[in-house]
Amino acid sequence: MLLAVAAFFAAAVLAPTALRTLGLRAFWLVALVPAAVTLWALAVPVPHEQVVPWVPRLQVQLAFRMDTLALVMTLIVAGIGALILVYCGRYFTPGGPGLPAFAGEFTAFAGAMLGLVLADDLILLYVFWELTTVFSYLLIGYDAEDRTSRRAALTAIVVTAAGGLTMLGGLVLLGLRAGTFRISEILAAPPAGPAVSVALALILVGALSKSALVPFHFWLPGAMAAPTPVSAYLHAAAMVKAGVYLVARLAPAFAADPVWRPVVLVFGGATMLVGAWRALRKHDLKLLLAFGTVSQLGFLTALLGAGGRAAAQAGAYLLIAHAVFKAGLFMVVGIVDHATGTRDLRKLGGVGRSMPITCAAAVLLTASMAGVPPLAGFVGKEAAFAAFPSDPPVLAVLVAGSALTVAYSVRFVWGAFADKGIEPVAVHPPEAVLAGPVVLLAVVSLLLGPLAPVIDGWLAGYGMAYPAGAADEPLALWHGFTVPLLLSAVVLAVGVALFPARFFVARVQDRLHPPIDAERTFRLIMRGLDFAADQATRFTQRGSLPVYLRYILFALLVLPGAALMSGLPWPGAARIWYVPAEIVVAGLVCLAAFATTLQSWRMPAVLCAAVTGTGTATMFVLHGAPDLGLTQFLTETVTLVAFVLVLRRLPPRFVERQYVGIRRVNAALGVAAGLLVAAMGYVAINARTQAPISAAYPQAAREAGGANIVNIALVDLRAWDTMGESSVLLIAAAGVTGLIFVRRRPRLPRTVEAPGGTWSLPGLRSFGEPPEDAAATTWLRGSETLSPERRSIMFEVVARLIFHPMLVLSIYLLFSGHGTPGGGFAAGLVAGLALTVRYLAGDRYALAEAMPIGPGVCQGAGLGVMAVTGLAGLALTGSVLHETVLHWRVPVLGEIHLVTSLAFDIGVYLVVIGVVLDVLRAMGDELDRQVEEEGEEVITA
Amino acid sequence: MNGIQPPTIEYGQLSPLLLVFGAAIVGVLIEALAPRYLRKSLQMPVTLLGLVGAFALVLTVVMQGVPTKAAAEGAIAVDGPALFIWGVILVLAVISVLLINDDNEFVASAAAVPGTPEEEDAIAAGGAHTEIYPLALFAIGGMMLFASANDLLIMFVALEVMSLPLYLLCGLARRRRLLSQEASVKYFLLGAFSSAFFLYGMALVYGFAGTVSLAGISDALGAVGGQNTLLLIGAGMLGVGLLFKIGAAPFQAWKPDVYQGAPTPITALMASGTLVAAFGAVLRVFWVALGNLDWDWRPVMWGVAILTMVAGAVLAITQTDIKRMLAYSSIAHAGFLLTGVIATGAEAQNALSLKGILFYLVAYGITTVGAFAVVTMVRDAGGEAGHLSRWAGLGKRSPALAGVFAFFLLAFAGIPLTSGFFGKYAVFAAAVAGGAVPLVIVGVVSSAVAAFFYVRVIVLMFFSEPAPDGPTIAVPSVGTAGVVAIAAAATVVLGIYPEPVLRLAEDAASTLFIR
Repeated sequence: MLLAVAAFFAAAVLAPTALRTLGLRAFWLVALVPAAVTLWALAVPVPHEQVVPWVPRLQVQLAFRMDTLALVMTLIVAGIGALILVYCGRYFTPGGPGLPAFAGEFTAFAGAMLGLVLADDLILLYVFWELTTVFSYLLIGYDAEDRTSRRAALTAIVVTAAGGLTMLGGLVLLGLRAGTFRISEILAAPPAGPAVSVALALILVGALSKSALVPFHFWLPGAMAAPTPVSAYLHAAAMVKAGVYLVARLAPAFAADPVWRPVVLVFGGATMLVGAWRALRKHDLKLLLAFGTVSQLGFLTALLGAGGRAAAQAGAYLLIAHAVFKAGLFMVVGIVDHATGTRDLRKLGGVGRSMPITCAAAVLLTASMAGVPPLAGFVGKEAAFAAFPSDPPVLAVLVAGSALTVAYSVRFVWGAFADKGIEPVAVHPPEAVLAGPVVLLAVVSLLLGPLAPVIDGWLAGYGMAYPAGAADEPLALWHGFTVPLLLSAVVLAVGVALFPARFFVARVQDRLHPPIDAERTFRLIMRGLDFAADQATRFTQRGSLPVYLRYILFALLVLPGAALMSGLPWPGAARIWYVPAEIVVAGLVCLAAFATTLQSWRMPAVLCAAVTGTGTATMFVLHGAPDLGLTQFLTETVTLVAFVLVLRRLPPRFVERQYVGIRRVNAALGVAAGLLVAAMGYVAINARTQAPISAAYPQAAREAGGANIVNIALVDLRAWDTMGESSVLLIAAAGVTGLIFVRRRPRLPRTVEAPGGTWSLPGLRSFGEPPEDAAATTWLRGSETLSPERRSIMFEVVARLIFHPMLVLSIYLLFSGHGTPGGGFAAGLVAGLALTVRYLAGDRYALAEAMPIGPGVCQGAGLGVMAVTGLAGLALTGSVLHETVLHWRVPVLGEIHLVTSLAFDIGVYLVVIGVVLDVLRAMGDELDRQVEEEGEEVITA
Repeated sequence: MNGIQPPTIEYGQLSPLLLVFGAAIVGVLIEALAPRYLRKSLQMPVTLLGLVGAFALVLTVVMQGVPTKAAAEGAIAVDGPALFIWGVILVLAVISVLLINDDNEFVASAAAVPGTPEEEDAIAAGGAHTEIYPLALFAIGGMMLFASANDLLIMFVALEVMSLPLYLLCGLARRRRLLSQEASVKYFLLGAFSSAFFLYGMALVYGFAGTVSLAGISDALGAVGGQNTLLLIGAGMLGVGLLFKIGAAPFQAWKPDVYQGAPTPITALMASGTLVAAFGAVLRVFWVALGNLDWDWRPVMWGVAILTMVAGAVLAITQTDIKRMLAYSSIAHAGFLLTGVIATGAEAQNALSLKGILFYLVAYGITTVGAFAVVTMVRDAGGEAGHLSRWAGLGKRSPALAGVFAFFLLAFAGIPLTSGFFGKYAVFAAAVAGGAVPLVIVGVVSSAVAAFFYVRVIVLMFFSEPAPDGPTIAVPSVGTAGVVAIAAAATVVLGIYPEPVLRLAEDAASTLFIR
């Protein structure tokens, strides 16, 4: 069996080449493969299995099984396939573009269908299932250049692929419940339970969508864009039959499931009626037949899925009958289309007379479709009516559907071949090869009826899966005068009667607007999906960082927030305050934080944020940690300066126009996040079971010979950390300046290098200045290079006055840091602030005058000093960064208490100064320069 | 000296990692010491040799028997899954580096402001940044470490080592530089946020367990039980950090912007390698460390997985940019993978899920690199033709390329006989076996929705008239052509005969994660 399937795919690979070299005749060559497979299928013993391992680790096997149902399907797939390939050999015009590829795709499609019906493994079945989807898509899109057929192809593949994927879920579920993926084993011992019902529902979605049943019926007529041979094959033998096949395959085991029968009967019955009803309206012969197929598929599904031996055997018989007459009828349409150039039944006139043989064959085939004795369709329909003796609603639907079927059958024959009193169209008669398959199928249709008892015995292999019913009768042409016969007569009478009344029917149809139209619903769903996607994208994918951040914060509130809430009430106790003043400070900090979230201007926001920092520093002081407080204050100040310098380059507001609502949302989110973090802190603190390490710090500091814990921690207890952090700080500073300076970091210019006396802000009106003033001594060296409108005497004076005291203070802090608040870090910040003042008052030249050494040198020297100190410790005491205390008594100064860590501290001091210088130069001076450059460009432009 | 025992480091086991980082450092030295005109011709062999050599070393480690004990004092677990993931990352890295080698993708001078004379000079001078090679190597090494970290601290370090070079690389696109830089900044800021959450979570978990070792946390959970607020918050924050990296909803927002802005070869590296590594880390944290807490995290993960699948599939529909569409598809795939992460249970079940996830990662990773490689080849005057309308009729213009791309799309959709099918099947089957049936149903429905937009692109390529001024197909460099060929071949082979890779995945998964 593997070989049979493989033969198809091999033929598919070779077909394009054959077609290129041999022309259309190659189709006949290709037809040999399905013909051979048909003969082989007739010869092969039933049942017959073949298992080849494929992916054993996923329990997927190439398991094939030939039983009665598979045999029926194989004969249909391969037999009809062979006939259609023969037909193709004359249908197409030679040398059509894409024809070689078409031949390959068609053969591969047939191979996939064959594999599908032979597969005995759920996953293998799914594989072939999706392959038929893909190949049918390629076939439908064969000459789809225009929009509608493209859309039809897309609809077809979307519906069937989506159904297929849904089915995959069901198949996996079913296989795991059953403990095996072998279909024959599952059928032998079917699992049950709610999970199985879910699985079956999912599988049925796949089957219904593939077989174009209501509510998925709209894709099949849409797929009419395909060339007629494809339509013939698609409708009669392949693709849509896959769903019916699956229903037939699983029904013996699962018909008793609570989900199965209602779904199959309701949707099958509805499809039968809807399809036939709509077929009555179509003017395109192909479309008429397409809706006829929809109707018949519903009929077949209801029969094969209903459970019960009689229904199943009737269904299997009708499956064959339908394949035969539907393939033939599509070929007839192809012939008519070919001969006249139209498929519109309003334009076709007198065709029957010019093509009598085709016409006769078509009449026979249509009669089979309508269920006229003694043709195959009649036998099947009789049996179907007989199978539901105790189910009047189902029977009623089947009868009504059959009557409509008769009506559209009559309409088809009339439409294609009758004279209708219009001018006959020009016809060139078909060649024998084109008509041959049609005639053959008509004959088969005719023979199948009398042969029904033989076929019945043969189909028993499938029907045996069900227990025998009480009133089961074998398939036969004549049962005597029975209720089904009566019903058949009624059906025929009503159906034929509907034809003269067709104008009335059309009017009724015009009146009746179905409240829900599946196709429109599908379009609506797709549009809705598009719309939803659009809206969702607009809502979530704003491309705006704050929006994204909002989502992350929101998730933070939901996830850890929920975890936090689940832990309520939190253990532990909190002391409200140690010093009453804390309350005031904390209130201020909270207020400032809240105010920050509401600001729409950048500068006030930064200032508010700074208040929280200073408040925190105050807290440290209130808690008796002036060293910590001092450090925090200074850091806060330097940060603020950096912020302000940068803000000059940014727009004053965050967003030009921001809705107050958004700001409120942000504020609410910010407050919530803040509360969450605070609560987390509370929980974390109270979860402490070990004594904090900081409790040992005062003792450690005393041992190290100092009282400033911050400083001791920096230079002694955790000197390694400081070393590492200093390096990181330098790298970060280099990185930041690198970003701003784009290229190389320039040296700050000295006053003597200033170009031509003064410089001013471009675009600003400059004041004239008396030359003697310009030459006069200034308070601040370097500030004379500024244009007068930018100078502030007050500021210059103040800067001049406080610059040196600040430097002295910084040196004092540096030396005294070990025992009292201060230390290298704080001292460096103070010195840095002194330079900042100088820079702000006198700009870049003033800064260079005050600090001729570049930041790089400062930083490098600082890190060097730290490294040397560490290594010296190694050399002196055998341990890196080990501290030694030196005591001297100096007559005047008293006792000098020098710790080697002071050297280390000096290193920190230099590093910090270097970094502040970098900040001033990069964020201050370089940004100034960029502003100037842009200003000049604007002016020159 | 002070009585400190020097740690024992299993250099042999860690050799792949060390080689990648070593090659990265050699790359940095080349940047510092070699003359500019020589750099590229030095960097490329060093990078490739480093990666291939590391792959060979992974094989050696496997040959010598998969270690059963964590290396480096329990900090790095070189176990079956880790070795598998290393192998996958290295393969993906090699083919991504072949893409990176394409001169046309990277900016001549990142420092030159777009549209300035400096930029023109840099372009005229020719060449591009060669720093991308060591940067990529660091990122790759970080990915490997991330997936094998056996304690949270190492994991955090790995996270940063992996992410920081990627932040930079994202901003180096040659065309549409502002978009690229914006992507870089967004990725950096959001990534920094998520890293901070991870760090905070780590601290809180440490507060609970008193250790950052994954095994230690698991032991602490076993001893104390899970109802500890600190632990739950910590676990939640770790989750935020990790889910951000895999781009699960609601942390998915960065992905499209970043994938679109980044140079396409880097997007390929991120979409494949980072995802693989991040899933390695997710599995380690949630299975090893928090395995005993699964009753608490599973419901959340359910929600996240569903949201991720649906968001990825639905949002992709409306996209008009091919890279953005692939980004959303990557989100959806992350959701599919999460269903496997959730499907835990007894040991055999875990091995089953793990096998599925590992196979899925291979299949998805390789196809993704291939798809992005195709994207680099469809160009017009402004660089890559990203807008989907420009892809109309590509099948007429260049049937082979469009055919390969359509094949990749079908693989993403999970159509049989492509690698994507078995990946999806393996994960969904494991999820069903693990009792996550509703999740699988959501999964198949989202795959169906996803199939819609993949197919739509195929329709566009094959059934639309080509635009008269449509994009040209760049003649691919040998590397790019090789990447497409390798990816296509892998997608076919894994789709038709996945057995060998599945066996590897099963062997890797059978031991589960060592503790």
